Amino acid sequence: MAEIGHGGKEIKERILEPAEAKKRIQGLKQYPIRSQLANEVIGIAYGFFSPLEGFMGKADVEAVCKKMRLKDGKTVWSIPIVFDMSNEEIAQYGVKPGASIVLTYTGNPMALFEIEEVYEYDKKSLAKDVYGTDEAKHPGCARTYAYKDKFVGGKITLVNRPKINEPFTPYFLPPLQLRKIFKEKGWKRIVAHQTRNVPHTGHEWLMKGAWFQTYGELPMDKPYVGVLVNAIIGEKRKGDYIDEAIILTQDELRKSGYFGDHNHLTSLTFWDMRYAGPREAVFHAALRTNLGLTHHMFGRDHAGVGTYYGPYDAHRLLESLQGEINIVPVYSENWLYCPHCGEITSESLCNHKKEWQKFSGTLIRSIVQDGVKPPRLIFRPEVFDLVLECAEKYGFGSPFVDEEYLKKRTPVFVMPPLA
Amino acid sequence: MSEKYPINLWVNEERYEKLQKAGLAAMCQEMLAGLKCIQVYCNEAQKDKILKVFPTAKFDSATTKSIELLPRQVKDKIFDLVVQKQSIDIMDEFLKSC
Ligand SMILES: [Zn+2]
Repeated sequence: MAEIGHGGKEIKERILEPAEAKKRIQGLKQYPIRSQLANEVIGIAYGFFSPLEGFMGKADVEAVCKKMRLKDGKTVWSIPIVFDMSNEEIAQYGVKPGASIVLTYTGNPMALFEIEEVYEYDKKSLAKDVYGTDEAKHPGCARTYAYKDKFVGGKITLVNRPKINEPFTPYFLPPLQLRKIFKEKGWKRIVAHQTRNVPHTGHEWLMKGAWFQTYGELPMDKPYVGVLVNAIIGEKRKGDYIDEAIILTQDELRKSGYFGDHNHLTSLTFWDMRYAGPREAVFHAALRTNLGLTHHMFGRDHAGVGTYYGPYDAHRLLESLQGEINIVPVYSENWLYCPHCGEITSESLCNHKKEWQKFSGTLIRSIVQDGVKPPRLIFRPEVFDLVLECAEKYGFGSPFVDEEYLKKRTPVFVMPPLA
Repeated sequence: MSEKYPINLWVNEERYEKLQKAGLAAMCQEMLAGLKCIQVYCNEAQKDKILKVFPTAKFDSATTKSIELLPRQVKDKIFDLVVQKQSIDIMDEFLKSC
């Protein structure tokens, strides 16, 4: 049976068999790419970005910027997926419509790039359309301004499968594989939890709340609803939790029984966050539709940064697209600890407003940094121990990203030599 | 009165015993589900200096109005000074050593 993804199109992996791959790349020039583009190549080839089959041409970028649609005018798409090259590189590698090059990563062939178009695009106008601002201090704008002279559009086909390094290996579950797992589990509805965090119980309850919301009218005779924690793995900023700690602690909530195999699964998506707020929320909706999810959690200021977006801007944009996207938004509220109730509760449940002790991400991080074990109502002891273990094993002593980690960490994936 | 900006020193059992001996146990407050914390205060100038000397530190202007994410060794040093001086008014002395 065909697996239908975002935009109503069948999800097809674009990956060549080794023998065929060898033939197709023979004699082609090899162009090394940086991690952002390698992440996006994986996104395209495995169908995370379905219906995209390659990097966007100008008509797509224009439609995405101006109408939040692909050039077909129908398919909702909010963030340009573009491949940049300098004028010198374009000349050096003979990049022109009709030509093909091989993209390499970590020294080995990764993908065949069949070039259809080389074009210029006004970066300032792109930034303004996508991020609602052209300020260079917005990280998405900064990423846009760092693009080289021209964009190159064309189809991408993987010539080699990436080797996902430990401890990430079991969490790389591309759309077709993930959909198979959901069928085996018998889940009728699956709700996405987007995260770049180590979970405290506030996060745990976000997921539990979303599970209740998603479960709705379904019968309870069997577990029909799962939470998929989909961690975004991409460029790190100093002070973020290290990737290893994020993915392992999220999964620890299942392993330690706060959830179980019957209702919880953790996986990852390679993506360099753009912090585009509402537009990023729409992109996440498309991405998770492709993963086979039916519901998606959106909190306040989803994927926002600074004060660029209002707390409910993303919710409003998603509302305006109902009927055009195939995933149900589940809006989450703030969970907190109420000493009067003696439990984790939420702003719309409990009325002991004066007594509330709110979770602040910064406060929790400060506790973790001090190595002082918090009460289990706030932070699960298994999660806490694992964070400290990850700090030793992967973080050079710290659970947070620093200079040393950025320099010395084991990459999440590499391209092995062509078999 | 001028603004005061706290640094939260999280208190586990071991630290609590030390504070008891220093006669400061009563200064502890319960922040999150019973997790104890003792606060030392910075004035505006001290806050600015701390943020400058320790660039990883962050002033949480949104929620807690406190100075967070100081390196663990720095926090340990501040805590030790509190116990040694039997006072939470130690930031001037601490900053002299930076
Ligand atoms: Zn209450």
